[in-house]
Amino acid sequence: MFVSRSMTQKVVTISKDADIIEAKELMEQHQIRHLPVIEPDGLLIGMITDRDLRSALPATFFKTENPAEKMPVVPSIKVKEIMTQNLVTLSPMDTIQDALLLIQKTLVGALPVVDNKGNLKGIVSVRDLLRAFINVLGIGQPGTLLGILVEEKIGQLKKIVDIITEEKISFGSVLVARYWEEGKRAVFPYLLTNNVVTVKKKLRDNGYTLLDPMEWYLDQLPKTEPKNAATS
Amino acid sequence: MKKTGFLYDDRYLQHDTGPYHPEAPDRLSAIFSGLERAGLLSKLIRLEACMAEMKWIEAVHDKQYIERFKSVCQSGTNSFECEDNQLCYQTYDIARLAVGGVLNASRQVMDGVLDNVFCAVRPPGHHAEADRSMGFCYFNNIAIAARYIQSEWGIQRIGIMDFDVHHGNGTQSIFESDPTVFYYSIHEHPSFAFPGTGRAFEKGSGDGIGFTRNYPVLPGQGDDEYISIMDTDFTPLMDQYAPEVMLVSAGFDAHVDDDMSGISLTTDGFTYVMERIVDIANKHSGGRIISVLEGGYSLKRLPELVNNHIEILLRD
Repeated sequence: MFVSRSMTQKVVTISKDADIIEAKELMEQHQIRHLPVIEPDGLLIGMITDRDLRSALPATFFKTENPAEKMPVVPSIKVKEIMTQNLVTLSPMDTIQDALLLIQKTLVGALPVVDNKGNLKGIVSVRDLLRAFINVLGIGQPGTLLGILVEEKIGQLKKIVDIITEEKISFGSVLVARYWEEGKRAVFPYLLTNNVVTVKKKLRDNGYTLLDPMEWYLDQLPKTEPKNAATS
Repeated sequence: MKKTGFLYDDRYLQHDTGPYHPEAPDRLSAIFSGLERAGLLSKLIRLEACMAEMKWIEAVHDKQYIERFKSVCQSGTNSFECEDNQLCYQTYDIARLAVGGVLNASRQVMDGVLDNVFCAVRPPGHHAEADRSMGFCYFNNIAIAARYIQSEWGIQRIGIMDFDVHHGNGTQSIFESDPTVFYYSIHEHPSFAFPGTGRAFEKGSGDGIGFTRNYPVLPGQGDDEYISIMDTDFTPLMDQYAPEVMLVSAGFDAHVDDDMSGISLTTDGFTYVMERIVDIANKHSGGRIISVLEGGYSLKRLPELVNNHIEILLRD
């Protein structure tokens, strides 16, 4: 779960004295939107994004088919003039969860990873996090997702796991989400099988409620308004 | 009445998936006795299984994969690559008999001996990829038939309609870059059902972009949604493609009474889907339809659904 395992290590970088046209070409060539700016010794001194470029270059520059024709009208701007300097960074031993929360909080698309000397070690982008969570969800492998409603008390998951294991079914992942009813949780086992008929029946026979798939959610807040919610 | 073939062979029952497995020999027995009871057998031209030549299987599957499959069966192991894929000593031979039967049926249709055909085979095929078994499938019967038809009759536009409730990942992957085969699938949305592929944005690759069409359906939806898909999407797309022959991956597990899915299609819904497929075949393919059994696990509903499917094929 450490960012050092999920980050992009071969980072495309640029020097502070480069022209921003070069930055734009590098981004297009590598299909990326963030370029860390480093000193020759690897020290991270800034970041330049495609949004920085869009603000610095005239709109027509992006529309023309042959940017070379427009070159003379674009004044030479150095990377260091427009780069962001006060960067939010990660350390290699920060976790994926740290990265997720920090990206959500700072609203950036990528975070540079630096060692304790400030040297660039990698970059974690939203894309890297997506890849990690596709892996966590297990959806790259063939399987079937179930949604099970359980009481929020100790031992519920064990019984579910036992029932599924008795059917010799492997797990791709198990997610536990908040449910809108108080004292209830929704458990989502992703099972690496096509054959869920028997296991569904066994779960029902053991008193579990299988959630209607149309009522599944992973990312919504409870349906009911909190009791003390302000009314307007 | 059309000259409709019916491929069935008792040997297909020998693929033993053990107790409690939904893809069981009883499925075919139920289909056969259903046709018998309805008096339909006498209206059909019966076809038997025959061994497929290896060159046709190898036209789709990797040699090493075929060898692996063969040796697993012969070793007496009872599963292959995943616990789902239960098998027995005979499975390899039975899978070859399924392919061979479908190829023979295809030949009869392509040569005009038959107008159309329904192949009641086991094991099913549409999940099997070139080098991987999956979801009870080992050899991709319909994909091998498509390659056979391309190569023996030089057909340039083959339509495959897959209405099994699960996405036919195998068939899609085999033809995704091939514009001479149009793979069209309606299935339960992959976020809710096996195998987790067949999203609407999967449209083929390379030269095949635009020749794969996936229409995921949400749990609980049924006849209304399928009718609308057939009218507003399938029919116009196939009218444009004008397939020279229609292949059908006929899975009957989208039925409301089939526990393998959350889709609520009724027998009338299946009728509507099949009638539209027949319309396309009559309009563009000289009526040629090769329909091959995939899933469908409700022993109570299978006879009714297959009888219905065959009555539509027989209709002039």
